[in-house]
Amino acid sequence: MSEIRRRDPRREWIARNRLHPEHASVVAEQGGAASEWLGPNGVIRKNPRAIGFIGPNGIKRIDRSGAQQGGQAASAARQAAQDSRRNVTIEAPAFLVAVVPELSGGRLSAHDKDLLGLARRLADADPERPGAVLAVVFGEHKEDAFGEAGIDRLLHLDDDAYAGFAPEARLAALSAVERELAPRHWLLPDSPLGGADLGRRLALRLSERPATGVWQIEADAETPLGWRCTARGAAESLDIQRPLPRVALALAECAEPVDETRHAAEPLYLTESIPSAFSRIEDLGQVAVDPAGVALAEAEFILSGGNGVKDWDGFHHAAKVLGATEGASRVAVDDGFMARHRQVGATGTWVTARVYLAVGISGAIQHLQGIQTCDKVVAINLDPGCDMIKRADLAVIGDSAEILAALVAMVEQQRGGQRDAA
Amino acid sequence: MLETLLPILIFAALGLAVIGAWRRVRLWRQGRPSAVPLLKGLAALPRRYLVDLHHVVERDKVMSNTHVATAGGFVAAAVLMILVHGFGLAQGVLGWLLLAASATMFVGSLFVARRRRNPPARLSKGPWMRLPKSLMAFSLSVFAITLPAVGILPADFGHWLLALALAAVVVWGLGEMVFGMTWGGPMKHAFAGALHLAFHRRAERFGEGNRSTGLKALNLDDEAAPLGVEKPADFTWNQLLGFDACVQCGRCEAMCPAFAAGQPLNPKKLIQDMVVGLAGGSDANYAGSPYPGKPVGEHHGTPHGPIVAREGKALVDAETLWSCTTCRACVEECPMMIEHVDAIVDMRRHLTLERGQTPNKGAEVLDNLIATDNPGGFDPGSRLHWAADLNLPLMADVKQAEVLLWLGDGAFDMRNQRTLRALVKVLRAAEVEFAVLGTEERDSGDVARRLGDEATFQSLAKRNITTLAKYRFQRIVTCDPHSFHVLGNEYGELGGQYEVRHHSTFIAELYDAGRLAFAPWKGGSVTYHDPCYLGRYNGEYEAPRNVLKALGIEVKEMERSGFRSRCCGGGGGAPITDIPGERRIPDMRMNDVKESGAELVAVGCPQCTAMLEGVVDATAEVRDIAELVADALVARPAVEAVDASRRNAGKTAEEVI
Amino acid sequence: MRPEQQGIEVAVLVSVGRHPITGRARRADQDARGLELALGLERQLPGSRVGLLHAGPRSEENESALRGYLGMGLDTLTLLEQAEGSDAIPALAEHLAAAPPQLVITGARAERGEGSGLLPYALAERLGWPLVNGLAAVEKVENGVATLLQALPRGQRRRLKVRLPAIVSVDAAAPAARQSAFGPARRAELAATPVPAEPDRELAEWQLAPARKRPKRLKIVKAASARDRFKAAAAKAEGGSGQVLEGVSAEQGAEAILKLLNEEGVLR
Ligand SMILES: Cc1cc2nc3c(=O)[nH]c(=O)nc-3n(C[C@H](O)[C@H](O)[C@H](O)COP(=O)(O)OP(=O)(O)OC[C@H]3O[C@@H](n4cnc5c(N)ncnc54)[C@H](O)[C@@H]3O)c2cc1C
Ligand code: SF4
Ligand code: SF4
Repeated sequence: MSEIRRRDPRREWIARNRLHPEHASVVAEQGGAASEWLGPNGVIRKNPRAIGFIGPNGIKRIDRSGAQQGGQAASAARQAAQDSRRNVTIEAPAFLVAVVPELSGGRLSAHDKDLLGLARRLADADPERPGAVLAVVFGEHKEDAFGEAGIDRLLHLDDDAYAGFAPEARLAALSAVERELAPRHWLLPDSPLGGADLGRRLALRLSERPATGVWQIEADAETPLGWRCTARGAAESLDIQRPLPRVALALAECAEPVDETRHAAEPLYLTESIPSAFSRIEDLGQVAVDPAGVALAEAEFILSGGNGVKDWDGFHHAAKVLGATEGASRVAVDDGFMARHRQVGATGTWVTARVYLAVGISGAIQHLQGIQTCDKVVAINLDPGCDMIKRADLAVIGDSAEILAALVAMVEQQRGGQRDAA
Repeated sequence: MLETLLPILIFAALGLAVIGAWRRVRLWRQGRPSAVPLLKGLAALPRRYLVDLHHVVERDKVMSNTHVATAGGFVAAAVLMILVHGFGLAQGVLGWLLLAASATMFVGSLFVARRRRNPPARLSKGPWMRLPKSLMAFSLSVFAITLPAVGILPADFGHWLLALALAAVVVWGLGEMVFGMTWGGPMKHAFAGALHLAFHRRAERFGEGNRSTGLKALNLDDEAAPLGVEKPADFTWNQLLGFDACVQCGRCEAMCPAFAAGQPLNPKKLIQDMVVGLAGGSDANYAGSPYPGKPVGEHHGTPHGPIVAREGKALVDAETLWSCTTCRACVEECPMMIEHVDAIVDMRRHLTLERGQTPNKGAEVLDNLIATDNPGGFDPGSRLHWAADLNLPLMADVKQAEVLLWLGDGAFDMRNQRTLRALVKVLRAAEVEFAVLGTEERDSGDVARRLGDEATFQSLAKRNITTLAKYRFQRIVTCDPHSFHVLGNEYGELGGQYEVRHHSTFIAELYDAGRLAFAPWKGGSVTYHDPCYLGRYNGEYEAPRNVLKALGIEVKEMERSGFRSRCCGGGGGAPITDIPGERRIPDMRMNDVKESGAELVAVGCPQCTAMLEGVVDATAEVRDIAELVADALVARPAVEAVDASRRNAGKTAEEVI
Repeated sequence: MRPEQQGIEVAVLVSVGRHPITGRARRADQDARGLELALGLERQLPGSRVGLLHAGPRSEENESALRGYLGMGLDTLTLLEQAEGSDAIPALAEHLAAAPPQLVITGARAERGEGSGLLPYALAERLGWPLVNGLAAVEKVENGVATLLQALPRGQRRRLKVRLPAIVSVDAAAPAARQSAFGPARRAELAATPVPAEPDRELAEWQLAPARKRPKRLKIVKAASARDRFKAAAAKAEGGSGQVLEGVSAEQGAEAILKLLNEEGVLR
């Protein structure tokens, strides 16, 4: 016991926690010890990543731009959080990683951003020979942060031919990209109406056997492209490990999105014109479906009423304003306030909504069974002790009619505000 | 003149009756074969009639006496009349006996008439309204024509006109009572009823204390055998005969929970529809209460036409069949020993196995049973998760035990897990050597079978039987009366014979043996709800009450209890098929509880617990008997002094809860 | 002139499914929905014929699963018998090319094996037919052109016209499959024809393991400063289970709800 080392558990914890905002500074402060420190149990821990700095995806990066931030002082990091992204420009990429984002609602979705994070890992693996991430974007969009998401080159194909469901035209375009630019990797989001469809078409057109449901990749020099991937198979019940093929369809959260660098998103144009595809599929446009008429099982946002709803007109009005699909407890159905096919629960429909707003429902086990897989449950109830409150992510204790009315007023105000602004 | 006319009339009526009987028999013979010992059955008939049938009829004292007088008088009068007036054997005592018999019958018919004056809703009207008059016509006319025969009146008494009038009344009486018996009048019940008793499909249900409640297995190995009943002719001939025996007394209707809840089922109408089907025609002549919400006269059928139409209407609508909770209240109450539940499940089998039309959540539940061995679709590997801290001995480890504790699917239900925990605590307190199958247990197959999926039932049953055969145990104890019934009464036919006890029975035995001691009851007033599958299916009415008594509870009985207990609505897959009515059955039952004034209702079935607890704004708490017992447990004084290790066992039990 | 609507020939490709919890063989959910759609079409367009097609090995387990489809009311299923682990696509493509139906319906993804959802695409590419995924309903078929509804998220629909012959794939948005009945399933015929099979060598080289649980991603907090970021992270950690607002005014309660609705992006 000749040497007693003083330990600061908080600092140690921060040093271990790469996601902690002060991580970089603490590690830097530990200086020479950054690659080695005392673990909580007195075991010496090694940090093999202590050289260079840790990129957003957990990959070691050595930044040759000279703007390396890993060792920045804590105060500086605080001040410059907003502008801490480094600008990265890749002039002469060794290869291209092509990404076709789904751009749902005209913007990069969270899934797209994860995919771009994955693309960056592929592109940046070898700092000596960096690749560039090429995004192929179809039709009109509202996105203005392509660079922040990690895109080096942007090929924007804006033509009516690509609007709506136009897999044939889009496939023809991607084939042209393949001919002219021959990307080393093709990445698409494996999302039902995003890349899942187009990606499979593309793979078959390129005679590649794509990896689908990819959620993890790791470097592996043994494989043709230097990577292997883990993909979900057999209805999510299998993990398939295989060499990463040229075309990969990846799941959400396959990688961390880019958040430390800003890329050029430099526009790119094809020299050849894209041959127009003979289309056997004609898109007649979206069919107007009233949210109230959406089948419960498919609904994303459900406003559900039970025995505690006294003002049913107000309830229906609220559903309309919120754009929610209506659901009900069995009591509400039995009492004739709601149609039978609107019943949620063991003997009704099992719903999978992202938000389930339960108004005046006590949360009987038979009811809770039906909302097991709902993401967020919000409860409005008079009784703070009832089981629905225990299940809820957010519960408001109070009279259902008043709270709904207040909510309706706020939503209308919010909408009105938007409309004025627009 | 009458002397010549009477034999002609009597023998003509008898002759026509024989022709009618032959025709009726031919109708029944449309059904599928069913092996019954004919002579043995006929020999057993008097006993079945006098003892078993009267046991049921006797529940209504006045009606019972009325029937004895009328029916007894009629049978005697009819036989004597043939002798006296048919063969002219008026001498001696026979004539006087005939007078006495017809007089008795007349008195009986007066009571029948009185009941028909303001008949309760459950009684059918129509031709049944003229029955008392016909009875009187027969008895009075026989009495009158016998007066001269015994010499009270001169042989040539009265005018020929009077004789003619009398002859006309005799014709009426004979017509209703003899001709009508086989040609389809109200008296058909006597003819068909007698034969039905003799050739009953469940001969084993007759005799003191006997019951036969298990459903009969379908032969699935024979690919040519029909899977259930599609058309009336698919019933066995003695089932058809049984339907024909119905007296339309409506006792079943009065007891049926589905009917009371306004669901589209009336067991009496259902049986009458089967009669319509077996003869062919429409239900327009039916004169009783309809299926709630379904007007009479829109349905029709033939012996070889479908009972449930694939599209449109036939004899019966599917929702009628799916409304039944299989509570057996109708069977229990039926004086003619008709087996409604068998018939309903037979027809459901066709709908499920041949058409794939189990309504509502039925298909999903059956798919779950096939894929996960439990109706909820839970991971079968998680069957014992609730007991992770209890260290339950597994049969797979111990290989043998005195008691095999059958958990049932309640093991997946948080509410029932409380009951199971309580039961484990009780068993440990009484130092019962028990073990569970754990993840080797599967659903007993009860729900699958009642939903008509015999294939899934048999698959589950056979696998359970194979599992059980691996281990040695003296008896199975379960807190689920449905498992109890299936294991005890239905596995036998598939090769699994077990001694099964409901937990209330077992606890009562433990208590009687001095292995349990209870603290005195301090709670409020308590009533007890008899689960159908414990009571009517298995005759266990006493043990749960004895346990409650041992706890120091005086049961405040509900108006409908014991064999007349009203169903909770949870049996027969009814909560799964969930056919809408005007009310809910459990709401009615909780109202019964309320009327008893009890603050707590003790139950002995996970299904009842779920149904009764699902009632909103209930006035009483619902608790399983096992929970009440577990709460009242105290260490047995004698034991404490003698044996320290036993005390430890008691302590473990404490920790269980 | 030909009648406006006439029957069409539909082939439904079905696979052996796998129950997500117990792994037992069963009719695959999406394939069964595909068959349901086809049976609906048969009603809608009298004179249509629905054929069932499966390529794979014949075993007791597979057979009972395949009979699950037959229990929905078909008399036969054409089984292209192949050894376990063979590539089904060439066999199916050849069979379909030999007697082309107008419409081929498949599930989006198989429940066993690679389950990559490539099959419909591979067939479409080989046969040169158009393909529509995520089908919710067939509205009508007229003069060799089908009008379809494609499912979009949130229960929305898109109307498409596609020239037949075509391949369509269905997922969970298609109508739920009817119950499979034991009797018809038992009686129906499995018409098996052995077909030459290529083993899927590539698949055999991959490592297959039961799916691991994917790590839950920590919520990324976007904030102007590191301090805000820290604050947000701390607040999140403390949240734990549900938040209960008691003794607040209706407006305060509504505000909290509105905030959540906005965060989840369900208000449009
Ligand atoms: C076999 C079976 C199957 C069943 N299946 C289903 C099913 O599929 N779906 C289903 O929903 N139920 C089902 N039930 C019924 C279930 O058990 C409950 O009875 C039912 O869900 C209760 O409905 P509820 O919550 O609307 O009514 P209640 O239990 O009466 O709850 C009303 C709630 O509203 C609150 N409240 C009252 N007034 C106000 C107010 N002014 N403002 C705010 N809150 C107020 C009360 O505090 C209470 O919590 C089933 C039951 C059984 C037995
Ligand atoms: S079935 Fe039985 S109880 Fe019901 S009416 Fe007929 S005879 Fe009476
Ligand atoms: S078993 Fe019960 S529910 Fe079914 S018909 Fe008979 S009385 Fe009615």
